Amino acid sequence: MTDATQSDTAFRPKPSLPPPANTVGAVGWLRKNLFGGPVDTILTVVSLYLVYLIVQFAIEYGIINAIWSADTYRECLDINRGEGACWAGIGVWFNSMMYGRYPDEEQWRVNLGGIILLLWLIPFWLPKITGKIQIGMSAVLTFPFLGAALFLGGEFGIFLHVMASVALTLFAAVWLHVATTYVFGRSLAELLVSATGFAGKDDRLHKYVLLGAFGVGFVLSLVYLGSWDLVEIPTTIWGGLFLTLVISGIGIASALPNGILLALGRRSKMPVIRVFCTAFIELFRSVPLITILFMAVTMMPLFLPVELNPPKLAMVIVAVCIFAAAYMAETVRGGLQAVNKGQYEAAQAMGLNFWKMMALIVMPQALKLMIPNIVGSFMGLMKDTTLVSIIGLYDILLMGKAAGQNPNWLGFHTEPLLFTAMFFFVLCFAMSKYSQHLERTIGGGYGRR
Amino acid sequence: MSIDTQALDDVVHVASAISDVVVIELAGVNKWYGEFHVLKDINLSVNKGERIVICGPSGSGKSTMIRCINRLEEHQAGDIIVNGTEMGNNLKNIDAIRRDVGMVFQQFNLFPHLTVLENCTLAPIWVKNMPKAEAEKIAMQYLERVKIPEQAQKYPGQLSGGQQQRVAIARSLCMSPTIMLFDEPTSALDPEMISEVLDVMVGLAESGMTMLVVTHEMGFAKRVADRVIFMDQGEIVEQNTPDEFFTNPKSDRTKLFLSQILAH
Ligand SMILES: Nc1ncnc2c1ncn2[C@@H]1O[C@H](COP(=O)(O)OP(=O)(O)O)[C@@H](O)[C@H]1O
Ligand SMILES: [Mg+2]
Repeated sequence: MTDATQSDTAFRPKPSLPPPANTVGAVGWLRKNLFGGPVDTILTVVSLYLVYLIVQFAIEYGIINAIWSADTYRECLDINRGEGACWAGIGVWFNSMMYGRYPDEEQWRVNLGGIILLLWLIPFWLPKITGKIQIGMSAVLTFPFLGAALFLGGEFGIFLHVMASVALTLFAAVWLHVATTYVFGRSLAELLVSATGFAGKDDRLHKYVLLGAFGVGFVLSLVYLGSWDLVEIPTTIWGGLFLTLVISGIGIASALPNGILLALGRRSKMPVIRVFCTAFIELFRSVPLITILFMAVTMMPLFLPVELNPPKLAMVIVAVCIFAAAYMAETVRGGLQAVNKGQYEAAQAMGLNFWKMMALIVMPQALKLMIPNIVGSFMGLMKDTTLVSIIGLYDILLMGKAAGQNPNWLGFHTEPLLFTAMFFFVLCFAMSKYSQHLERTIGGGYGRR
Repeated sequence: MSIDTQALDDVVHVASAISDVVVIELAGVNKWYGEFHVLKDINLSVNKGERIVICGPSGSGKSTMIRCINRLEEHQAGDIIVNGTEMGNNLKNIDAIRRDVGMVFQQFNLFPHLTVLENCTLAPIWVKNMPKAEAEKIAMQYLERVKIPEQAQKYPGQLSGGQQQRVAIARSLCMSPTIMLFDEPTSALDPEMISEVLDVMVGLAESGMTMLVVTHEMGFAKRVADRVIFMDQGEIVEQNTPDEFFTNPKSDRTKLFLSQILAH
């Protein structure tokens, strides 16, 4: 039979056939993904038609029929009968939507504050730089005071004066540190220690050198800030995107530290702390933000002494911070639960105390797991701050609405809304992208587990 | 009843250097999980330099007992004294004891977000306030001792199970403990990796470390242990030298356990 001859011949694989022509290349891709069957084909055609309608409308409304220069809304309507955007209005109202009623000639203070904050955070992305955590902490903890001094102006109290000086000193230190790192290849601390001749001495003495340098910077800042003579701008006329960023910025910066403390408190073995934190979290998570805002501006003043009379903005910021902290606490708790029990045990067995265990072992792992949720909360908070418009703070949304109530601009509503939406989209999209970047890079060495 | 101990007969015992100083004393220790009585009247005293192997069926309370020694579990009655320090709710005492007692876990419990070297230097730096350079020097010495200095910059997730467990041992040693606790250090390992970890532990025994080892590796017990303790249902049923324990077990529960363990 043929069996014998077959087993004698060595096995020789035939070369594989090329794939059928219609499964490769652009045509193949189209067939596979868009026109795989009658249902797919119908869906594809309908979707393409919808996309076409939207794009066509966007181009006609936003570009072809749009008016780029006009002095009143009437002028726009006369030309395009409302069939196109009146971008001219955005030009007219741009300043208000950015700064509210902050006087034109003082707006440089807002810009300067923003630039300082950006500069403070830039070293975060520079490679080489050491002590990034300290840089981030110094910005989050002290910039608000420098910002307040700059934005408010006038005669600031002793507390604000001192804190703003601390902030200014730290800001200068951060950039001196960047300079020494890039010019001399050494950190500011090392350079200070060796320049004062303490390099060879006991490590413990180094601390005093740094404290001394800080003291000198602090006194200089104190004097410098004392020489400031800025017009006082009350918070009641702050507004626009500036106000939105002040509220959401402070809310976001405070949410994580407060949330971590609340989450730890909720897991505490001490009943008083645990009950308090649980009640706090559950209460503020179950109440709409707008209710908390109303209570903050209408009821809080009744409880506080008349002399104190804090500005509405301060009450609103406190309310937003409380709300954000309560939400963040639950996010953090989820992250803490996801960390393996063995990690806690190993840390304890080595003799780490509770705070060191949390800071060095548990939180870094929990935070990495929580990044998407944390950034999700930040984005939610940023958008939620538009609720302050309901209690009459002129944030970017309410400022845009106010534009349409101006006699010359009656009915000018859509364009400010689109403009506002664009700002939120840009800010939130940037956060989202940055969080994806962080997820990829933080602790990139986990490797296989 | 005779038990086949052929395989264990030609094991040479590591020389021991037991002093008469008692370093761990458990007296009348009892512990409950709710209604469940896990540790029943445990009395045990361990001398400096002594090596003790603890065995017994799963769920008999072996882990719970050694975890009481560094307060990963809290006991409810009785006294535990480690290196002269009484274990209680006093945080200072707990810290003092934990500095002296190292522990190696079945699941390694290395810190995945830190490199091998950082795993080893963390406690010396943050608990003992040791300067970083010195901590790294000591860590490298111990990593050499467990034969993986070349892995120092890798993350735990990049190592094999046996390597991870050796790092865990080095990490404990970096705190220069006087007592080491091992909770089934080879049970989560693939068979071919068990001996590399046991070798390190034998080396540690040779250096005179006081060791309490929960394990079912009877070859290791025979070679290293000064005393074998058999636990069942929360009690210490029997304790003896390894020779006596394996060739002449007294209680029926021990005989049954040994026949199951040595059968394969
Ligand atoms: N946290 C806990 N809560 C309740 N029961 C537990 C807990 N931990 C262990 N146990 C029980 O205690 C007994 C002893 O456990 P363990 O000491 O881990 O045993 P072994 O290490 O000897 O296998 C087991 O029955 C186990 O189910
Ligand atoms: Mg166990």
